[in-house]
Amino acid sequence: MSFLAPLFLLGTLALAAPIVFHLIRRTTRERKVFSSVMFLLPSPPSLTQRSRLQHLLLLCLRCLALGLLALGFARPFWRSAAPSGGSDAQTRRVVVLVDVSASLRRTGLWDQAKARVDSVLGTLGPGDEASVLLCSRQVTPLLSFEEWKACPPAERLPLARGRLAATAPGWEDDRLGDALISAAETLAETDAQKKSPGPRQIYLVSDLKAGSRLDSLQAYDWPKNLELHLEPLRAQNPTNAGVQLVAESPDADRLATPSVRVRVSNAADSIREQFRVAWTRPQGGDLGPAVDVYVPPGQSRVVAVPVPARAADLRQITLRGDDEDFDNTAYVVPAEQQHWSILYFGGEALDDAGSPLYFLERAVPNNPHLAVTILTRAAAVGATPAELEEAKLIVVTNPALAPPIAADLRRQMLAGKTILFAPRSAESASTLGRLLGIAAPTLTDLRAADYAMFGDIDFRHPLFAPFADPHYSDFTKIHIWNYRRLQLDALPGARALARFDSGDPALVEVGVGSGRLLVLLTGWNPEDSQLAVSSKFVPLLDSLLEYAGGPADEPSQYFVGDPLPLHPAGGAPSRVVAPDGTATQLPAEAASFAGARTPGIYLLENGPRHWRVAVNVAASESRTEPLAPDQLERYGAPGAASPPDPARAAERRALLAGADAESRQKLWRWLLGAALAVLLLESALAGWTTRRNEATVAAEGTHS
Amino acid sequence: MSDRGESSQLRSAALIDPKALMGIRNLELRARVVVQGFWNGLHRSPNHGFSVEFTEYRQYTPGDDPRYLDWRVYARSDRSFVKKFEDETNLRCYLLFDQSRSMAYGSAGYSKGQYAATLAATLAYFLHIQGDAVGLLSFDEAVREYLPARHRPGQLRQLMLALEKPAGGRSTDLAEPIGRLAALVRKRGLVAYVSDFLAPLDRLEAGLLTLTACGHEVTVFQVLDPAELSLPFEQATQFEDAETARRIYVDPVAARRDYVPKFETHCAAVRAICQKLGIGHHRVSTAQPLELALFEFLQERLRRGRRSPARRRA
Repeated sequence: MSFLAPLFLLGTLALAAPIVFHLIRRTTRERKVFSSVMFLLPSPPSLTQRSRLQHLLLLCLRCLALGLLALGFARPFWRSAAPSGGSDAQTRRVVVLVDVSASLRRTGLWDQAKARVDSVLGTLGPGDEASVLLCSRQVTPLLSFEEWKACPPAERLPLARGRLAATAPGWEDDRLGDALISAAETLAETDAQKKSPGPRQIYLVSDLKAGSRLDSLQAYDWPKNLELHLEPLRAQNPTNAGVQLVAESPDADRLATPSVRVRVSNAADSIREQFRVAWTRPQGGDLGPAVDVYVPPGQSRVVAVPVPARAADLRQITLRGDDEDFDNTAYVVPAEQQHWSILYFGGEALDDAGSPLYFLERAVPNNPHLAVTILTRAAAVGATPAELEEAKLIVVTNPALAPPIAADLRRQMLAGKTILFAPRSAESASTLGRLLGIAAPTLTDLRAADYAMFGDIDFRHPLFAPFADPHYSDFTKIHIWNYRRLQLDALPGARALARFDSGDPALVEVGVGSGRLLVLLTGWNPEDSQLAVSSKFVPLLDSLLEYAGGPADEPSQYFVGDPLPLHPAGGAPSRVVAPDGTATQLPAEAASFAGARTPGIYLLENGPRHWRVAVNVAASESRTEPLAPDQLERYGAPGAASPPDPARAAERRALLAGADAESRQKLWRWLLGAALAVLLLESALAGWTTRRNEATVAAEGTHS
Repeated sequence: MSDRGESSQLRSAALIDPKALMGIRNLELRARVVVQGFWNGLHRSPNHGFSVEFTEYRQYTPGDDPRYLDWRVYARSDRSFVKKFEDETNLRCYLLFDQSRSMAYGSAGYSKGQYAATLAATLAYFLHIQGDAVGLLSFDEAVREYLPARHRPGQLRQLMLALEKPAGGRSTDLAEPIGRLAALVRKRGLVAYVSDFLAPLDRLEAGLLTLTACGHEVTVFQVLDPAELSLPFEQATQFEDAETARRIYVDPVAARRDYVPKFETHCAAVRAICQKLGIGHHRVSTAQPLELALFEFLQERLRRGRRSPARRRA
């Protein structure tokens, strides 16, 4: 017989209690009247040999009850009765998770990783099952459970070794949290097919750097009986600094010398602090003067690297002075200014401070990335087809637009253009009708008694979405004096994006073909409203330009593994040229390119359009100092520990088997039942003895 | 006859077993049984008078009553002498009888109170049939009953009834009844103090001194149960004080070692007080025949009479 909680057997020491109590002369309830107790001293309870002889049966029953209780609490079980564990019950299932993120490119780490995988797989028996997964951004199976089982036991290790030898760390950043969850779920899936799962183990072979992404573990409910064993890798060179491109300074266009800002970060366990950054050629050699950077370990500095004056091909900024160079190059695509045009049909003079054009001219963006020009046309003079084609946005404020011009604009709308129509009076109803290809709708000039305001605004519309935050959603400070009332029912497919506080529509969107017509029923000029002089005007115009067409702001860089957006247009297929020159053809419907596996400058082509994007190593890969030892435990990872001791593992297995046997046999119930029965018997016997004694005493009293 | 001879003679006589004696329900009958054989005893009165028997002449000293001048001797010898006489009057005897609850204890089938009552009754009866006046003052923590000493029909009966009253009270005050008696009885007499004296003795000596100072002849009978002397119990049990009801758990086997010396010390203290004041002290065990106690009493009185005749003269 074995015991699951043998410490409870110490309870048998309590057997001494009834024995001592039986030895102690019981404080009698009988009393003797004596003439005077002034010469007597109270006696302490004393042991008497005679009382041990008395009530021997009671003593035995009490001891037996205590012994049974102690035995029951010790949770006994028959070891021989435990079912013989089949080979399936003892099968270890192991997932070896190998980190192949960019930080593994450090000197010696990959060799260490291969050796660790080798040693872990070497401990497995023929009945055990294993799977090797590679993890970076995604989890890639290197060797599945099925392949492992299908392979003869003698060839399993060479197979895994061979596949690992053909693998190398990539350039992506890691998602260790996702990878651990994926490994745990792989084990859980295989468990579902087993009746009595054996030990399940995850071996994580990783450098466990501080930059590892573990946040997804926070909400993860780990399966039970899962063991996580860490196989941490240690780099030979602790010093690692990285360089990352950072966003352009807001006042970059005002600087005398154009420059690119980079962040130089130094790992917390680095022993070097002095670095240099400079523009370099891919084949080697600097393109300009180097900039010295002093970065203490664990900190980062942002430095501006001046753009060399006569440099033709600026592609990369390189960090020098670091031991590990996998993250020492930041690829840069210098910003190129785009030229957009707005076609304005109004006929006002450019210097007319009361005209809408005056304010539009001053509000359109004009910066190193984007230069917007306004082409003004009178109502009677049309624009050339090229101008119409070039224009991103067409603005019409003239009340009476010539019918041919209106027809041209309508065609542009049908082809996908956006027109902002801001009638300055009710006379423009006919122009509106022509633009929409319907009869002239009813348009009424209204003058607010005091002033009108914007009331109901649809902040879910892309035009107003930037104002959705409560900080910016207050349009009530814009007072409106004159506006036009439009019957919305007259316009098929029209939608009011904003209304005045009177309930009349203020901004109406009508879809025309693949384009759209936006009807603003008040002017932004001071005669009609305060819109032009309000803080909302410029963002609203930016939003309008973005809504009218053209790609939104492209990020200045992508990270390895990010999908590169292709912006397909016109049904033309796309083509991506990687930094090493390999070209990939993509179908016309492909929205992005997911094969950016190495850092560098990628050339993207879509029809006549082609542009370059920079793909860099993620900044988190540069934080190579070791992860805090308890970080995984804080995320609830089960038994995140160093490699297990075989003796302890065997002991644990024996304990689990014992617990299983005990839970099936439940001998404690019988023992507690027996203890209860003995206690009942003891109570009955004690009661009978007491009654008999009392009867004897009473009989003696009567006799005397 | 010497004391020893009388004692052995008495011992050889058929003594009555106290247990058998206590079997007699009537206290007076018990007393009568005991007194048989002693009723010839005669007491001398401690009071000297001029009525019965001439004792001696004494030189007149200023202050003597001139009535007692013997004028004949004066006429014959021209000297002033005073005549003294021994007055054989009846003895006034007071029984100071302890009726506290401690007296209710008894291990031999009868209590100390019963034994002491028989003893007192025996004395009373003995004195009564001699023609002496007998009174009683019973007490526990206070005086319970007082019967003035008289010699008249019915006195003995009343005295017996008073003695047969059950024990009571929650304590014993040994000095209080003495003081009361000294205050009540102005004439000198015999005081027989019957008690177990199982109470604090701090005021006993002063009380007894008051009595002797008043001229009373005092005799103390300390009545004790044999169980009190040796604590012969075996079973540990709760001992309850008969008076205070205080309970303590006592293992007699272990407690005996301390108890017996303490008890003896207490008895020795009582005896020492009596000896110091010239009081006769009789320790009477309830297992002892009553005749012995009575005999000892008479012996002691005879002894006292022989040794200090001067004290009986004024």
